[in-house]
Amino acid sequence: MNEATSIAAARGAACRALLNRVHAIQRSDGITAASLQQIKGLLVELASHGTSLFPDEDFAMPEAQGRNHMLDPAADDGLGLYLTISLPGKEAAPHDHGIWCINAGLSGKEVQRFYHRTDDGKRAGFATVEQIAETLVEPGTAIAMADHDIHSTLVVGDRPARALALYGYALNRFPAVVFFHPQFKTCRTLPSKRQAAHA
Amino acid sequence: MTFKVRIGNTGQTIDCARDRTILTAAVLAGIDIPYGCGTGNCATCLCEIKSGEVELLPHGDGALSQRQKAAGLTLACRAEPRSNVEIVWLGQPLAS
Repeated sequence: MNEATSIAAARGAACRALLNRVHAIQRSDGITAASLQQIKGLLVELASHGTSLFPDEDFAMPEAQGRNHMLDPAADDGLGLYLTISLPGKEAAPHDHGIWCINAGLSGKEVQRFYHRTDDGKRAGFATVEQIAETLVEPGTAIAMADHDIHSTLVVGDRPARALALYGYALNRFPAVVFFHPQFKTCRTLPSKRQAAHA
Repeated sequence: MTFKVRIGNTGQTIDCARDRTILTAAVLAGIDIPYGCGTGNCATCLCEIKSGEVELLPHGDGALSQRQKAAGLTLACRAEPRSNVEIVWLGQPLAS
């Protein structure tokens, strides 16, 4: 077994071990604020291996500015684990992706901002949100979000931001994602991928 | 500096500053241009550039491929004008 194969095997084993532990937490405690914090700790620990388990050469850079590499090709509908790479300036507007997620930094810096909705949600296409918190995800740090938390992201600094991202569903089986546009006071809902994924 | 942007779908021409995206200028002008994420990730605002030049802000790989760029497509939410421009949107409005 050459070194690259050995690293890939070790990475695969580490990822499977993490997912097994997360499934066990879900079975015993469900997804709660406390269990999300526990899972966050596990993802930070996995990310702490840095390039020894996640070497740059194993994960192609984006062709544009953002790419997701699935780390668990055998993922079922339960969890989605990814290594994400985003270049400086890459952003995502405030959004609610409907399912919990945890993001742990490997390298670079990404600003995560959190919001709450301030309108009553009764007017189609209209929404107002207010920022309530901001944190910087970098190596050694992570964020955990519950199912309908609203966040935005922005890669800052001059280096790509690499991170481990764990979602309650795989990205190709995501529920509807609602994007908020404070500058327009609008929201837009991307269709759910779940029905197509299960067809 | 401000450029003229013609929206082929509606026949309207709007002003768009070079540091403002075409999507922002269109929405603020009251044009019902399709958009979703607004930050270059979903491609709902995919447009064809009929004439002129734009500069693209950062976006995700899945939203606009190199081949699409070479074919004259762009994302209204990421495109800032660098000349007078005419675009036609290709996407459909999302559910609100």
